[in-house]
Amino acid sequence: MTGSSARVQTGGYDLPVYDYVRPPELAGGPRRRYPVVIVGGGLSGLTAACDLACRGIEAVLLDEDDTIGVRGASSRGICYAQKSLEIFDRLGIYQRIRDKGITWSVGKVVEGEEVLYSFDLAPGSASAQPPFINIQQFYVEWFLVDRIRELGRTDLRWKNRVTAVRQGAEHAVLSVETPDGAYEIEADWVVDATGLASPIRDGLGLPTHPERGEDRWCISDVRFRKPLPTERWTWVEAPFNENRAVWQHLMADGVWRIDYQMAPNADPAEVSRTEVAEARLRAHLGPEVEFEVVWVGPYSYRTHLMDDFRCGRVLFIGDAAHVMSPFGARGGNSGIQDADNLGWKLALVLRGEAPESLLDSFDAERRPAAAHNIKVTSRTGRFLAPRTEMERIIRKAVLDLSTEHPFARLLLNTGRMSAPFRYDASPLNTGAEGEAVPNVRLGEGVLSDLLRGEGAAFVALWAPDPAQPGLAAALQAVAERGWPVRVFACGAEAQPLPHLSGSGMGLLGLTPGTLLLVRPDQHLAARIRDADPAALEAALARALCRAPSDALARA
Amino acid sequence: MRTDPNIPDPDGFYEALLDTHAGLSIEESHALNARLVLLLANQIGDAAVLRACLAAARASAGQNRDTASRDTQNRETAR
Ligand SMILES: Cc1cc2nc3c(=O)[nH]c(=O)nc-3n(C[C@H](O)[C@H](O)[C@H](O)COP(=O)(O)OP(=O)(O)OC[C@H]3O[C@@H](n4cnc5c(N)ncnc54)[C@H](O)[C@@H]3O)c2cc1C
Repeated sequence: MTGSSARVQTGGYDLPVYDYVRPPELAGGPRRRYPVVIVGGGLSGLTAACDLACRGIEAVLLDEDDTIGVRGASSRGICYAQKSLEIFDRLGIYQRIRDKGITWSVGKVVEGEEVLYSFDLAPGSASAQPPFINIQQFYVEWFLVDRIRELGRTDLRWKNRVTAVRQGAEHAVLSVETPDGAYEIEADWVVDATGLASPIRDGLGLPTHPERGEDRWCISDVRFRKPLPTERWTWVEAPFNENRAVWQHLMADGVWRIDYQMAPNADPAEVSRTEVAEARLRAHLGPEVEFEVVWVGPYSYRTHLMDDFRCGRVLFIGDAAHVMSPFGARGGNSGIQDADNLGWKLALVLRGEAPESLLDSFDAERRPAAAHNIKVTSRTGRFLAPRTEMERIIRKAVLDLSTEHPFARLLLNTGRMSAPFRYDASPLNTGAEGEAVPNVRLGEGVLSDLLRGEGAAFVALWAPDPAQPGLAAALQAVAERGWPVRVFACGAEAQPLPHLSGSGMGLLGLTPGTLLLVRPDQHLAARIRDADPAALEAALARALCRAPSDALARA
Repeated sequence: MRTDPNIPDPDGFYEALLDTHAGLSIEESHALNARLVLLLANQIGDAAVLRACLAAARASAGQNRDTASRDTQNRETAR
């Protein structure tokens, strides 16, 4: 296992650097075939590696760099959504994120001194995790690396750059470059998590239909001392930014992310010049406040979307597959959720518990999620950067009405925060389910605790029906016939099933006789009223792409 | 979307609409119209009706006058 011997100090952060180790293939070892090779150690690739490691699946992760994040103290993503936090809870890094990050739930749209609109995501949240935590992206990546090393099932190879992938029916071959030269490695499955400019995707000639946004922004990450609430504040027309939009948000280490919308033709080099950035901050924070700039970065938006997130043996996750503008923090969060969606499917296929066709459902579920996120973020982009004079007039009407009329405040669109996608058209569903089940408290713990462990198991939450005393044993027998499922009696006890109680039960809408079939990624596969073993087996078969009668012979 | 007459005292409403714009510059009137559209949309509050109204308004853009005046005549005779 590679260690981290050094640190880089940058922007007041002290970040790890990981040792490059000569890969076994270049040290005289044989060319090996691995079940999974993940390419790219960003949010998506590291989440995938950590998820597989938690499931007991060995993988190789290749990254061209030797540190987390992007060099130079830039954090791209800062807001991590509830669904991602629930995933991190299952993976075992949630506590570190919570301790380091800033928990928040209130967002405000501000005009001058006045709050036009505010929302609080906390009331109505049923999860043990908060709606959002803000933390620099590289900390999340760092915690993931630590956890992956602790689990000890992943061969993390730093400074290993993939230059090409070719594939046949049975496996893929990756060409890799290192400081010691080039080598090849074989994989049953390749997970491409190389981000926006994926050389694997481009090498395979797969289009992404990119579109560039005209709108320009400039981030300033800054430390300052001024008592402000830990809320997300946005301005549509900020007087201190020439009546253009601004976002202001706190993340870890007392660093604020302030994002300024620039004039349409602004020169990125000019707007990010130290004096210009400092003048902007001075106008915003007022003359008295001392501040220290951590990082300034200009950017513009782009979107892209692949036609199919699977190409043979290669699966595309995160920015490699889809890119959206950052409004509402949907980019990194959807990469994390791609990894979460793929992990259990790969594990079941590799363990022979599901056919390869289960992997097609990754595209069937995550591509619509990405398309939805692109639509939502594009709408925000259009609100923040009106394309015509009439679009500006209509936006002005919204702003003017908002001060007095509550209905208009809902039209103010400074970003719709990332929410889990409901896979309502998924082929894995029985009925129109597919929604994410919140991480409710059950018994001593939370729902995600039941999803931990080697391999990947569904969780069946069943509220016993007192009129049918024999059902508990019959449902238990489904698991004993080899289906990857753990059945629990919820509310009332029903031997021989393990029993769960807890405040979360009511939130799940479990009436006696009902069974919820929760997938390993905590989405709902089926809600079965008057549950019986045949209905449970049918739902499991559907969710695993298996024949209903196929009670599996795997011990 | 209803297209049968539903506005009480049509002439009175028309006059009130014009009076609402009285004395405003064209920019101010555009702004007023935009606010009015949003306020009225919230009164309707039905997604299908709103979409039908948007489509109908768009379809009339650039349509020739004959259709418009024929509609007016029909409405007169109906009353
Ligand atoms: C300004 C801004 C703000 C954002 N804010 C948020 C936010 O608040 N919340 C949020 O969720 N998202 C946010 N995002 C989006 C988020 O940062 C990205 O969606 C996320 O980084 C994508 O992760 P990824 O792992 O798919 O790709 P990346 O993070 O790009 O990681 C790709 C990895 O692949 C490696 N790699 C590349 N090529 C090769 C190769 N040939 N061989 C080996 N390794 C390779 C790289 O070294 C890198 O580690 C923001 C983005 C921007 C630009």
